[in-house]
Amino acid sequence: MTQAHDPIVRIEGLTKSFGTAIALHEMNLTIAPGEFVTFLGPSGCGKSTTLRILGGFETPNTGRVILRGEDVTDLPPNKRNVNMVFQDYALFPHMTTRRNIAFGLELKGMPKPAIAARIDELASFLELTNYLDRRPDQLSGGQRQRVALARALAPDPELLLLDEPLGALDAKLRGQVQIELKNIQQRTKKAFFFVTHDQEEALTMSDRIVVMNKGRIEQDGTPEELYHRPANRFVAEFIGETNFLDGVLRGMEAGTAVIDWQGHQLRCQTALQGLQSGRPVTVSLRPERISVHTTAPAAEAIPAKIVSSVFKGSRNLLHLAVNSATMSAYVDNANLAQPGDTVWITWPSDAISLIVD
Amino acid sequence: MTRSTRIVMGCLYWIFVLYLLMPLALMMVMGFKDSKFIGFPINSWTLDWYKGVIADREVLSTFGYSTVIAVLSTVIALTVGTWIAVALTGRKFLGRAIILGLTLLPAVIPGVISAIAFRIYARVLGVEPGMWAIIWSHAVHNVPFVALVVIARLSTLPPSQTEAARDLGADPLVAFFRITIPYLAPAMIGAGVFCMLLSFDDFVRSYFLGGYQPTLPVLIFAKLRSGMSPEVNAISTVVLILTAILGIWAERSMRRLKS
Repeated sequence: MTQAHDPIVRIEGLTKSFGTAIALHEMNLTIAPGEFVTFLGPSGCGKSTTLRILGGFETPNTGRVILRGEDVTDLPPNKRNVNMVFQDYALFPHMTTRRNIAFGLELKGMPKPAIAARIDELASFLELTNYLDRRPDQLSGGQRQRVALARALAPDPELLLLDEPLGALDAKLRGQVQIELKNIQQRTKKAFFFVTHDQEEALTMSDRIVVMNKGRIEQDGTPEELYHRPANRFVAEFIGETNFLDGVLRGMEAGTAVIDWQGHQLRCQTALQGLQSGRPVTVSLRPERISVHTTAPAAEAIPAKIVSSVFKGSRNLLHLAVNSATMSAYVDNANLAQPGDTVWITWPSDAISLIVD
Repeated sequence: MTRSTRIVMGCLYWIFVLYLLMPLALMMVMGFKDSKFIGFPINSWTLDWYKGVIADREVLSTFGYSTVIAVLSTVIALTVGTWIAVALTGRKFLGRAIILGLTLLPAVIPGVISAIAFRIYARVLGVEPGMWAIIWSHAVHNVPFVALVVIARLSTLPPSQTEAARDLGADPLVAFFRITIPYLAPAMIGAGVFCMLLSFDDFVRSYFLGGYQPTLPVLIFAKLRSGMSPEVNAISTVVLILTAILGIWAERSMRRLKS
């Protein structure tokens, strides 16, 4: 990843273990100004540990955190210009919205009129003007979330940390808040560091997603890159649904791998080089990119048998068998194929990506 | 529950309430009797005993003395008890269980034994019997109650609360006073009122450690020795009403703060 500006944050060789459990392993990462970076992974993958190290709540065993060129690894949370939106929002229950937002500003020693002006600015920005004199228990989940955001944004941090802040919202509100949060991030032009285990959330909001597993970065890229060009089996499986086709590499021809799979030849573009012919490889193929034909369309189509068809509302999910392999595909409702029928499947040449574990 | 069992349960409840309140009610009624002797029948009524209590400078100064002792010993118990609770809750360390055990010990030692022990200890240290000796013994006796209540409340404080304060620029001390203490406030008010009532009510320690000035229970005891009279009933009734008001106020403000 190349950056036009100096990074806001640079993480160098970060390692953290709790007892014998390794939470983070030699992690390196940079975050550019104004970037919305999401850390995505299953629980225990090290994403929350990274967040807590950035916030100053944990000290790494080795490695450094550099914020705007300054080494802040050993600084306590109150000495670094980074703010956090907590998973449970952590609003102060005995304070009104106004006092909650003012908390960080007062501690910065900001004069009273300036504090009042900043609160008004944030309240109108986050549509909290009518709720400034309410306490947290008099607010809805979405309002609380905005108060937490306002409170964290108030001291004008270099970087905003968000620890699964949408987890407590119901599914319908969540979708709406995702768009809202992305808008807020774009308007404040702040770097957001968002942690979640929800891949849909990550895909919707992020400029960049870092997929983590067992304390290591599996892949770091844009949502499109991750979805269409997963680096490995873990990423392909974690983000969206996919079919893994296990085959044998026959040879490489100018950036295209030729793979033998169930007696068929697959062609897959790849940046990987120096792969030995004859080695086992896997390709990932998203089920929605498969076209299913009831008559043989061309010589390159692969015949398959329909094992089952599941109605999913807007489309049907087909389970297909190709010789000894099975795969799934999404088709239009109007497709009249029935279980037991033989069909022909094709896909665009860029729909499959090569995975070498 | 069927209708008949509900009626039976209701009756039992009211019988129990009568059983509890009867002695108090009798005490209050006897304060209005126009005679030196406590007992029925009551032939004529008077307010003189109550007027006497309000006019009695000794009773009033004793009341003030007991109040000062209650307030000061409570302030000490709250400070020490909260401090111990915070120290014990923060993180696990060696000897944590022992410190907790020692903290709770004064609550279970019989009053007479602890009073005698305090008396001997005060003599050894050269502390004169009197107000400060009483305050000291009351404070030690009340620390466990504060510590227990505050530990219970502290265990429900989400760690993210103080972390959020730290994140927004508070050092540990500011976070403690601006976030932790307000969160503990309902527990501290409750424990404080309980401590005040315990101190106000205490006889044994106050008797053993007191100087010439008696506390209210000690004064009542002295008056009883010269014979039961409705004056004692009147004093007790006034105390009962004041403590009831304090208790109800504490209960209400705790509920308001916790919500």
